Amino acid sequence: MRLLDIDDLHVRVDDKPILNGLSLSMNAGEVHAIMGPNGSGKSTLANVLAGHPGYEIIGGSIRFAGADLDGLAPEERAHAGVFMAFQHPVEIPGVTNMEFLKAANDSRLAARNLEPLSALEFMKKVRNLAQSLDLDSEFLKRGVNEGFSGGERKRNEILQLLLLEPKLAVLDETDSGLDIDALRTVADGVNRFHADGNGVLLITHYQRLLNHVVPDHVHVLADGRIVESGDGSLAHALEERGYAWLREDREDTPPARRSSGMRN
Amino acid sequence: MIDLDTLGNPPNWLAADTIERSRAALEGGLARETWKYSSLTKTLRMLIGAPGVSRAPLADVPEGVSVTRLSALATPPALTLDIERYPLAGITASLAAEGWLIDVKGSPDRPLVLDCETGINAPTILRVHRGCRVDIREPGARGGVRASVRVLQADAGSTVCWAQAELADDAEQWWLLKAQLKDNASLELHQHAAGARFRRLDTHVTLQGTGSNCLATGAGIVGPGEHLDRQQVVEHAGRNTFSRTKLHNLAGGRSRCSFNGRIHIHPGASGADADLSNKNLALDIEAEINTKPELEIYTDDVRCAHGATVGQIDPNALFYLQSRGLPEHRARRILCIGFLTECIRGPLADKVLNAFLARLDGAAPSAAAELPGGSAQS
Repeated sequence: MRLLDIDDLHVRVDDKPILNGLSLSMNAGEVHAIMGPNGSGKSTLANVLAGHPGYEIIGGSIRFAGADLDGLAPEERAHAGVFMAFQHPVEIPGVTNMEFLKAANDSRLAARNLEPLSALEFMKKVRNLAQSLDLDSEFLKRGVNEGFSGGERKRNEILQLLLLEPKLAVLDETDSGLDIDALRTVADGVNRFHADGNGVLLITHYQRLLNHVVPDHVHVLADGRIVESGDGSLAHALEERGYAWLREDREDTPPARRSSGMRN
Repeated sequence: MIDLDTLGNPPNWLAADTIERSRAALEGGLARETWKYSSLTKTLRMLIGAPGVSRAPLADVPEGVSVTRLSALATPPALTLDIERYPLAGITASLAAEGWLIDVKGSPDRPLVLDCETGINAPTILRVHRGCRVDIREPGARGGVRASVRVLQADAGSTVCWAQAELADDAEQWWLLKAQLKDNASLELHQHAAGARFRRLDTHVTLQGTGSNCLATGAGIVGPGEHLDRQQVVEHAGRNTFSRTKLHNLAGGRSRCSFNGRIHIHPGASGADADLSNKNLALDIEAEINTKPELEIYTDDVRCAHGATVGQIDPNALFYLQSRGLPEHRARRILCIGFLTECIRGPLADKVLNAFLARLDGAAPSAAAELPGGSAQS
């Protein structure tokens, strides 16, 4: 079943074009990795999918689970099943993590015309999730991401992913700032999410997360469009050779062939 | 300036030259500076037209506490009003029908609940004796014209928790709380206030004794057409004194919210450790916020920090909450309450939080269910 269809997407920020004709399709249950040099548009893609108001779509379309995402507010996209794990999760002092999670979960359930969980049921569920991600339950009492280390923030993002049960996880450099153990814990969480038949769009700079979350497809983003697609071996090639060889290949290859691997 | 000759002679427990000194101070530069964002003339007119209140401010008197009229004392304790800085204190004391001394010689088993009635309340000295511990609460919910002067004298080793909540929006109010702390005395101060037709709150803490300390927090919310002006002074006079002051205010609509916080480190007050922070959130372009933190340091070997910010709701935080499925209006509300909750502390916190939630929601009853203080707390 087709989960996400991005077609010829053009996006700009403050009149500066960032995405220039990006196309990508993924089916439910697939893991796609997006790699690419700094400034290629990876985080822009994540933010656009989640509905950040600072990005202007000037062309193309995004369809999610058969419906157009264009014009939907971020919360409507969340209710539809899109989840973005932030590269830099924000601190919200004064609001405890537990209160925030409860409010988000209640909102999700209300959107599906479901009753909220009782406080007791909810706390039990969240504590179990926290434990599975090696997050001390003390973190639930603290302000949202307040004073959290980089690794704790990322684990908190995965906790939200597992709690809110979306259909698509867009992970924006979730592996950055993680030590080896934390990387494994986070990867385990992502794999649990994936095992339920959900889609994962994993944005990363490095191959190391892909050792734990094995992608079905790897795409290379450069200058705001996907310039190469392949299987997991492409990530290994990038790790070994960097991105320069792709640029050289592109200069030698007609555009029609370059785009053929992008859609599946 | 208003003619003060009509005030007559001050009561016998007040210094005879109180009115003259008040008059001189009202015409001086200091009053003009500290009353930059509130009209001193209007406040004075407001006070002079209000009735005096003679009733004792403390109805329930626990064991170990006594309440005495100042006029009944052969040698009443000095009010130490610092009239040169607070001329309205002199005027208020002159207008009041009575003054009171609340003597705390033990550690009461329940809070002292001070009443602040509509009108000019009797100046009150609250003396907490050596080593005693007391919890004071002023849940001042009344509207109308109200003025009060409280003087706290905390003896060595005493511990005082003082919580004030001024929440009535139909009030025109001025108060002064002066606190003087002796050696190792501790004051925990929680001052929360909503905006009103006019609300001007002065607080002056003097850490006189070695090792005396004060922790002060306060939250404020100011709505359309409302006025809230807080002036906070912390003087470090003794050695190794410690203070923390943290206030958050939120202003919406065409409102005015002002804060002036001053830390004053005296000569010889070595080892002082002071920090003052005031953050403000403007919800509307028409909201006026004035904030000015000040430091005056006259000795070395101190640690001092101060800061003030004025900002709007962080769009990144808003997006973060929305991306988790919270509609924009709920996300905004969560950010507002979170901002205030950082400073809503002390025994009256629940009452204040509920009042602030009701204000944010326009009195919508669903407010408390989803947020700080709601059922999700672990």
